[in-house]
Amino acid sequence: MTLNSLAFLAFLAIVLIVYYALPKKLKKYQWVVLLIASYGFYLSSGITNVLFIMSTTVFTFASGLFMQRIRDKQQSYVRSLGDSITKEEKREYKKIANKKIHTIQVITALVNLGVLIILKCHGFLFYNLDKLFSLFKWDVSDPLMNLIVPLCLSYYTFNSIGYLIDIGRGKHAAERNIGKFALFVSFFPSIVQGPLFRYCDVGVQLTQEHKLNYDNIKYGAQLILWGFFKKLVIADRISAITAHVFSADFVAGGYNGTQVFFGVLAYSFQIYGDFSGGTDITRGAAQMMGIDLPLNFERPFFATSMADFWRRWHMSLGAWMREFVFYPVMLCKPVTNLSKKFRKKFGPHAGKIVPSVAAPFVVFFLIGIWHGITWQYVTNGLYNAILISSTVALTPAYNKLAKVLHVNTEAFSFRIFQMLRTFMLLCISRIIVKAPSLTDAFAMIKSMFTSIDLGFLFGSDGEIFTYGVDQQGMIILIAAILLLFVISTLQESGMKIRESLSRQNLIFRWFLILLLLTVVLVFGVYGPEFDASSFIYGKF
Amino acid sequence: MEKIIEILESIRSDVDFTKETKLIDDGILDSFDIVSIVGELCDYYDITITVDMMEPENFNSAEAILNLVEGILDED
Repeated sequence: MTLNSLAFLAFLAIVLIVYYALPKKLKKYQWVVLLIASYGFYLSSGITNVLFIMSTTVFTFASGLFMQRIRDKQQSYVRSLGDSITKEEKREYKKIANKKIHTIQVITALVNLGVLIILKCHGFLFYNLDKLFSLFKWDVSDPLMNLIVPLCLSYYTFNSIGYLIDIGRGKHAAERNIGKFALFVSFFPSIVQGPLFRYCDVGVQLTQEHKLNYDNIKYGAQLILWGFFKKLVIADRISAITAHVFSADFVAGGYNGTQVFFGVLAYSFQIYGDFSGGTDITRGAAQMMGIDLPLNFERPFFATSMADFWRRWHMSLGAWMREFVFYPVMLCKPVTNLSKKFRKKFGPHAGKIVPSVAAPFVVFFLIGIWHGITWQYVTNGLYNAILISSTVALTPAYNKLAKVLHVNTEAFSFRIFQMLRTFMLLCISRIIVKAPSLTDAFAMIKSMFTSIDLGFLFGSDGEIFTYGVDQQGMIILIAAILLLFVISTLQESGMKIRESLSRQNLIFRWFLILLLLTVVLVFGVYGPEFDASSFIYGKF
Repeated sequence: MEKIIEILESIRSDVDFTKETKLIDDGILDSFDIVSIVGELCDYYDITITVDMMEPENFNSAEAILNLVEGILDED
């Protein structure tokens, strides 16, 4: 059952009816309805998936309890001693307990991450081992070749690891009810493609009582409708162009830079419509239950730098990485010591370069594993890390250059330039992962700078309409993307679309909503391809 | 407070730390500046600033940073 199916909407409606229809006395068990629904939803994707998620749940839950017990024991022991021990002794007890907690946390995180790495990377590892050992005429076969990666493994693994780290840091206590914890790991709207969330933010909301609220239902339904628009009208329609341009046959047949740019432009809209549309459906469904999930996108096409892009794209993964990888790496002793040495020897800016090199490389390596490691994802991770590190390293040089050339960096035109530059850098990143192979990717990128032929766009033979989207389809696409652009621009200027819509007259409001619904029903792309894999990020 | 300002200026001499109150919210300091500042503060005051203290409100002004440092010193 996918988020963009009628089955999902029917399922959601049934869950909402049961969820809100519980008698007053049983309202405190609303979370049980969500837990049953979540496992039912997940079960529809196969029993093996359920076994995997259950084992992660039980293992993480037990570790959390164990960590909590150590902390509680230490605290009650110190309390029982009262003033008979010194501050230093108290600190020593705390230190010993924290060391034990840290050990359990690391072991559990490594086991969870290990499962993720093994399941996602075994193909890559054994493929390369086989290549290496073939030099000595040894065959290395992948013993896990037939193993299927459980659906949404990355999402619940990262949420579980975050939960443990937060307990270790004392951010919140361990959950003592395994059912409630199981719901935190498996909450059904977000299990397919996130967003990632933390126990202290969302976990607590999941188990609270929620009264039926008209605004939540209204805003949630509107967000779902907007998500369907992005997914069905834009992403699924434009996907034909992407599939065509990045197919092995097309690449082997020869191409020019304009065709590649057309393909990567289509892919950029496809992946945004697909992923952000899915997130809107997820967040809308959760909002209808009174649960506020974190934002995952903030108009990434308006990003003015790669760092800005990563603050706007897949924000929940970015927040996770920042909190649990980026800052810990930047604050670890070797990095801070080296940074200090550089600062003292070469000046303040040099001190910034050390963490700016170390942290992005670790983060993007992990993001590579998240996507399932291949040489294309490794290269793309490296590419992003180099771009972000070099931005920090070269900032003084950029500032000097801007001064010399009398560039007004506050001007609107400069912002447009920054946005276009970031978009071009992103296009390269998209080609690296989307091309049939790494060699093809490099050749395609090269063609964008060496063989531009505008005849493809404006030729009378109408070649542009032979890539899976005909003339009529192209008009629908352009109109839909324009609508997306207008809405995004309004949001970027600070407007809250749904709130401002609710202030309009009833007739006008319903006219707009019904118009959008009609657009989705009439112009959405429907077909037999709607299985679980139709959401690009569902496979992660 | 003078020492805090001195540390901050050693990292970013181009910022007026006596006046700015939205160092993070306005994007004046980036995460790499923060790490340098944290490193200096930890060394000078012999304290540990943990990841969960890396909240914008703790680094938005020199005063907020001073409050953070004093809070950690009091706890110790």
